[in-house]
Amino acid sequence: MKISYQWLRQYIDLPESIDELKHALTFSGIEVEGMESIPALPDSVVSCRIISAEKLEGSDHLHVCMIDAGDGGELHQVVCGAPNCHSGMIGVLALPGTQLKDVLIKKAKLRGVESAGMLCSERELGISDNHAGIIELADDTPIGISVNALYDLPDTIFELEITPNRSDLLGYFGIVRDLSASLNKALKLPPLPQIEAVASETHGLKLVLDEPELCPRYTARLIRNVRVSDSPQWLKNALIKSGLRPINNIVDITNYVMLVTGHPLHAFDYHKLAKQDPSDPHPAIVVRKAYAKEPFAALDGKDYVLDGEELVIADGEKASAIAGVIGGRDSAITDQTTAIILESAAFHPGSIRKTAYKHKISTDSSYRFERHLCDFTPPHVSALAIMYILELAGGEVTNELYDAYPKPWQAQYLALRPCRFEQIIGYKMPEAQITTYLEKLGLKFLQYGDFQPGMLSDPDKIYCFHGEQVKAGITEFSPRDECVHALYFSVPPYRVDLTREVDLIEELARLDGYDKVPQKTPVSLIMDRHAYRIRKLIAAHFRDCGVFETLGYSFMDPQQLAQLGFEEEELAHDLIRLINPQSSNQSVLRVSLIPQLLNTLSYNINHGERDLKLMEMAKLYIRTGDSHVEPLRLTALFTGKMASEHWKAPNENLGFYHIKGVLESLFTALQLENCLAQPAKKLAYLLPSDSLEFSSNGVFCARMGRINPARAEAFGIDTTSLKQDIWLIDVDVEALITLTRANHRVFNVLPKHPAVVRDLSFLISNEVSWTDIQAAIMSIDPALIQKVGIFDEYRGKQVPEGFRSISLHIFMQDQEKTLTDERVDQLIVSTIKVLQDTWGAKMR
Amino acid sequence: MLNGLFARLRELSPEERPAFGQLINDARGELEKLLAERENQIKVQSWEKQSGALQMDITLPGITFERGGFHPLTIMRNRIDEVFLSMGFEIAEGLDIEDEFHNFDALNTPADHPSRNLADTFYLDNGKLLRTQTSTVQIRVMESFPPPIRIISPGRCYRNDKPDPSHSPVFHQVEALVVDKGISMADLQDTLQAFATIMFGSKVRSRIRPHFFPFTEPSAEIDISCVSCQGSGCRVCKHSGWLEMGGAGMVDPAVFSIVGIDPEVYTGFAFGLGIERIAMLKYNIPDMRILFENDIRMLRQFRGESL
Repeated sequence: MKISYQWLRQYIDLPESIDELKHALTFSGIEVEGMESIPALPDSVVSCRIISAEKLEGSDHLHVCMIDAGDGGELHQVVCGAPNCHSGMIGVLALPGTQLKDVLIKKAKLRGVESAGMLCSERELGISDNHAGIIELADDTPIGISVNALYDLPDTIFELEITPNRSDLLGYFGIVRDLSASLNKALKLPPLPQIEAVASETHGLKLVLDEPELCPRYTARLIRNVRVSDSPQWLKNALIKSGLRPINNIVDITNYVMLVTGHPLHAFDYHKLAKQDPSDPHPAIVVRKAYAKEPFAALDGKDYVLDGEELVIADGEKASAIAGVIGGRDSAITDQTTAIILESAAFHPGSIRKTAYKHKISTDSSYRFERHLCDFTPPHVSALAIMYILELAGGEVTNELYDAYPKPWQAQYLALRPCRFEQIIGYKMPEAQITTYLEKLGLKFLQYGDFQPGMLSDPDKIYCFHGEQVKAGITEFSPRDECVHALYFSVPPYRVDLTREVDLIEELARLDGYDKVPQKTPVSLIMDRHAYRIRKLIAAHFRDCGVFETLGYSFMDPQQLAQLGFEEEELAHDLIRLINPQSSNQSVLRVSLIPQLLNTLSYNINHGERDLKLMEMAKLYIRTGDSHVEPLRLTALFTGKMASEHWKAPNENLGFYHIKGVLESLFTALQLENCLAQPAKKLAYLLPSDSLEFSSNGVFCARMGRINPARAEAFGIDTTSLKQDIWLIDVDVEALITLTRANHRVFNVLPKHPAVVRDLSFLISNEVSWTDIQAAIMSIDPALIQKVGIFDEYRGKQVPEGFRSISLHIFMQDQEKTLTDERVDQLIVSTIKVLQDTWGAKMR
Repeated sequence: MLNGLFARLRELSPEERPAFGQLINDARGELEKLLAERENQIKVQSWEKQSGALQMDITLPGITFERGGFHPLTIMRNRIDEVFLSMGFEIAEGLDIEDEFHNFDALNTPADHPSRNLADTFYLDNGKLLRTQTSTVQIRVMESFPPPIRIISPGRCYRNDKPDPSHSPVFHQVEALVVDKGISMADLQDTLQAFATIMFGSKVRSRIRPHFFPFTEPSAEIDISCVSCQGSGCRVCKHSGWLEMGGAGMVDPAVFSIVGIDPEVYTGFAFGLGIERIAMLKYNIPDMRILFENDIRMLRQFRGESL
């Protein structure tokens, strides 16, 4: 729903700042979906009269206009292409030199004819989206005045989202009523007009309400001797700013009053309405359901066939309107209309919604009637419209109000317990404040009383027993009974959404501002969630690689450390000893998880198991001077086959590349692709040739290698007769937690252009490492070469001694465009050249 | 044939031509659709025939991706973590090597209390000891963080017990501590019942009965109704219908005073459970020593357990 700032401020003092108003609206629960500011126009944009408009020779649409801009000087000659341009009309002229949004108006020649300025459309001025023709102002508009005065500029149009429960906010009055409560400002609403009617014998209406369920109230007024014409400029502008098109004064007034009150109206041409029965003295309005297959010619120019479920407003013969949705062409107000029936009614929202949905009609009227409008206000809305009709179209109100209202509105009362407000919202609101807020919304404080839930229509049923019971010596109250003290309020008819105590509580909290809701002290956040997740991820990775977790005591045998090759003196200052160990082989706290894992491996091999992947993730206990640390470590041992035996899949013994792969895939999962593998420094228990150390940004994080079979023997494992190696992985969990702490995953937009893959095979010296080959190729064009992958390495027959054959894929992709064959060929040529020049590689 | 019909359109009057042209077009569309459907049907059948000719022995085993598994105590610990994390608890772990103050003094343990003996507690050559319960973490947390506090502290504990079916010198505990305004024994009951329900199922009831611990007042022992017989009495519960799960109570005001929390403003509860005990009950493991043997045949049995 569109709301104009300038219009709104006619009814209430608004904050000067638009942002402040936006904040006030937003925090009272009226969402501002969009704001469009219409800036003031330069003074050189003025109202003007087109004295003459001659067709330009040789053009089918251009006119040469002579224009009086009220400046007392010569007439201005302007060439205009608008279809509605004609002599005598009053329009808007932008004089040369005017800057309109992006356009600078200049003197120019069009088809050889001098044109000094531009006649403008609403869109060109930024007032609306209308660009069907140039602006045509009302005939009585003075000439030569600034357009800002005409359109109340500058202005801001707010696009508001009204929640479905708040039908009272569908017009300016409702919005300002809510603002008056939240901003604590007085309202400046016009008083309700008194309508004086003249009785008539000759004119009258027969009103028949057949469907009181679908139409709780129908009111009609008959106005005679009206003059249908154009609306005055102020009325047109008000509609334009709200996105409505001006039509004629009667229709414009009904629309205007709808915008103001939120309650739609409809006007019928009285003389087009048929009698229900030829013997009736007067025409009829019948509120009924449509007949099955009843045709209906609507105002939108379309013809509908109704199915019988729709509520229609009919005359004595046929449907004249689909109730609350759209009017009919046959009874529409035209220039010839002299008497009108003004409808102001309330309809069942569900029925309106169903009809509008079924026939795919959405009007400003159906938008509002779908939201349960109140049935108390129609006569008041009607009176306001009549005030404008009498003023702008003349005429006289004939006969009293026709009013079908089978179940008149009754006053309702709601109880609110201050203590309940505190229970739900979390703070106390003083009773005086409660009353002030609710009365601003139109409720009235009635009296105190004991709480009763729901709506109460009889105020005599409000009791106050609480005090009497105490006097009578009854002192037992349940906790609920302690919260009985309530304030009773009458609910205004337009707040159909207020039916329970909790609805009132919501209103109070909203108006006071949700920022007043106190925050309780939060629980202390203690846990290192990152460490917790990374730890689990690492353990799960090894589990998914087929490794079983073991748990050992925190103690170890210092002897076994010696058997692994640790020098006892070296460890002396690391080790923490138990004063009262249960046995000598449990006399120190663990500084390595390897001995116990080897023990477990040995135990299981002795039980006939050959293929084992075991790990433990546990703390080490290391003395550091006077203090100590307890770093978390994961150690894993692998031996035997890669997978369990299978009749079809090949199954090799675990080797260097399997173990390396376990770590590499871990680093990928942890986003540590930059992890660097280097030959490990010599360790007593690992063979030197195939052990690696991994580090990221210079921080050691893992180690792998093959256990020296002689060391394993000391633990009772005879690797020679088993014919299998024992591989070790040692992961510094603490280091990985630290290294990944800054990781922040961000989505990379997926490439739009296809990748190209080319293969290369070449012979190269064994001295050249894969890492070097890869890096050399990547550096040829890091932007285009995405990846270099190896798919074969071969040594042996047909390959000279000291050389190997390497086959690789090169993945190339351009983020910006599709790679051309030429560019790909260039890259491959460069690659070959680099390999040949750097290492003397021979292409195969 | 359709093209022939198109050619003959000329024979019709100009008024009739559009309607007939449309008819022929519709017919062509329909025919093309039917042809395409039939062609696809033939392809589908041909593939089905080929696959039938393979004569596979579908009873041969599939190629499996060998999965590892977590130790049952880790699985249990993770489940307990999950239960309490979902109830809004934080996890605090602390160190295994502690000083006497945090393990005994701050927990209101008298200087001559027997649990301080060498026969009960492991002492280290650096003047410290191996914590005998994870309550030490509660003290550390209350020293460093203001209430409200909601933590569990899972971890290793040590007592100088010889390994036997129900004892181990190294074992695992999880302790819970809640400190806030208005925390009462009702909150303790509530949390224990929620834990029992989530871990052992909705039929299991929890109860507390009077006991003594130096660091809680009142103190209690936690029982749950026997998970095996639902309380009617069996071998597992030694025919009592109840299983002992651990200790609990309201934090002793003396403990609050030591860590500088005003016992007049704040109250709190704490309880401790043995993870081995829970795992043994849950998985029907008869002897605690099995858990530390790491026999791969035992470990393989828990491969499918989640977490």
